[in-house]
Amino acid sequence: MNYVHQKHSWELPDSAVTPEAHYLRRREFLRVFGFGVAASVLLPAALLAATGDLDDSLNPRFKLDGVKLTPEDFVTGYNNFYEWGLAKDQPKDLANRGWKTEPWTLEIGGLCTNPAKIDIVELMKLVGGIERRNYRHRCVEAWSMVIPWDGFPLAKLVMLAQPKPDAKYIKFTSFFDPTHSAAQRANDLPWPYTEGLTLPEAMNELAFLATGLYGKPLRNQNGAPIRLVVPWKYGFKGAKSLAQIEFVAEQPKTTWNEMAPNEYGFYANVNPNVDHPRWSQKSERVIGGGFFSGKQSTLMFNGYGKEVAALYMGMDLRKNF
Amino acid sequence: MNVLIKILAHRLFALAVLVGVGVWLLVVPSFTGRLGANPLEKLLHQSGEIAIWALGAVLALSPLRVLFPQSRIVAALNRHRRMIGVTACIYGLLHFGFHVLYEGGWDGLVRSLSKPFIWFGLTGLTILVILAATSNQLSIQALGGKNWKLLHRLAYIAAALLIYHQSIAGKGHWFVARWLLFPLLAVQLARVAKTFLLRKPRRLNYPAVYGVLSSPP
Repeated sequence: MNYVHQKHSWELPDSAVTPEAHYLRRREFLRVFGFGVAASVLLPAALLAATGDLDDSLNPRFKLDGVKLTPEDFVTGYNNFYEWGLAKDQPKDLANRGWKTEPWTLEIGGLCTNPAKIDIVELMKLVGGIERRNYRHRCVEAWSMVIPWDGFPLAKLVMLAQPKPDAKYIKFTSFFDPTHSAAQRANDLPWPYTEGLTLPEAMNELAFLATGLYGKPLRNQNGAPIRLVVPWKYGFKGAKSLAQIEFVAEQPKTTWNEMAPNEYGFYANVNPNVDHPRWSQKSERVIGGGFFSGKQSTLMFNGYGKEVAALYMGMDLRKNF
Repeated sequence: MNVLIKILAHRLFALAVLVGVGVWLLVVPSFTGRLGANPLEKLLHQSGEIAIWALGAVLALSPLRVLFPQSRIVAALNRHRRMIGVTACIYGLLHFGFHVLYEGGWDGLVRSLSKPFIWFGLTGLTILVILAATSNQLSIQALGGKNWKLLHRLAYIAAALLIYHQSIAGKGHWFVARWLLFPLLAVQLARVAKTFLLRKPRRLNYPAVYGVLSSPP
């Protein structure tokens, strides 16, 4: 498969196009938001428990046939979440020593018509509930999982917020809580963790905001109570424990790109043809795949080329890695 | 105190610690299912960590002897430098073995060899193998003390290469590697400073020093 195309002079960048669905539903936020506030007042408090009593069933379009789900223990025990330690088995312990992820308020702001500070459970109801999707997860460190996420498409939030015409990117900012996170006190990385997507990327049906996995509310070490999941990109794009979602005009600074721009690009699309400077991206070790048989070839766009390749038409993916 | 020194100076003690670390971090987790989600990666990282900390220990011991000439603990531990050095080499070879397994075949191995990162590790390891192979009495005699010492100064180059290898091995590994690099640099600099400061007055101002001291140095 070859996804690198020559760009014609008449081609507009995708970021210049307002998606039709988004245009058509631009007035929805006010209507739904108004209803949502009323609903949150009327609904019993019991409903406000994390992923809770919301209807949650597998979206058959994202069943992902022929792959084995990574055991839950591994998904919740092998985490890159540097706020809670450098080793992958640390977050499971360190993120659960008194750090509260409930209740949690997400701030939606920047260049949009409907900024809001909103409780996560309220938000889940506003967007019409949650669904389950099985997604491949490919870490830039060349290992992979298959994870059953629960949550809702990012596009739904974008439509509620109604970005203004000059909004071209979305900036995602993780929590900042140095009282609980020793790593944030140590200040090794430029906290809080930030990530970004172009608006068309965010509107792609695959871009997802997860609030749970394996049918349970997200564990703290997986980025509770809400995190970004972008399955065709390397895992570090999926900012965890989101505090802020902002619509911005310029490409936002993103944490790993700031730390090492030659190693971690802004796009960070899974691409077996573009190596990391220190290791090959051609193949990946499957977590839970066994000691000697756990290696498999990495797929372009992590196997989601059909859905996302059009986003990068005419772009040199070696330069924009 | 004497008993403690005797224990610390004993070869069996050193052997038990050096083998014990491997048993504790590699063997026990392997047989109790505690290697986690990515077992080979864990073995790969742990064996590398043991190797580089062992190398760090050797390189810290000689400056510590200069800095604390009176300390019997430092003197006792200094007896094990050769053994610790050879241990670093053995765990380094194990680490390379796990890398071969982790790459899962010839293709992966060859691809990994195209990365400079791997060559920092391999060059460092090659030095360790040469030093371990020449760490016997026979080699000292064959090479002559001066040449042998010069050859074994390569350990510093190996350490520099390997700490760099460690610090870029993954996202954020530098935050771990610096806990080895900075203390090591500190003791080395302190050693150099002490040697320099002690030597200078003797050579240049010998009469003055002699005049101040009640007896000749």
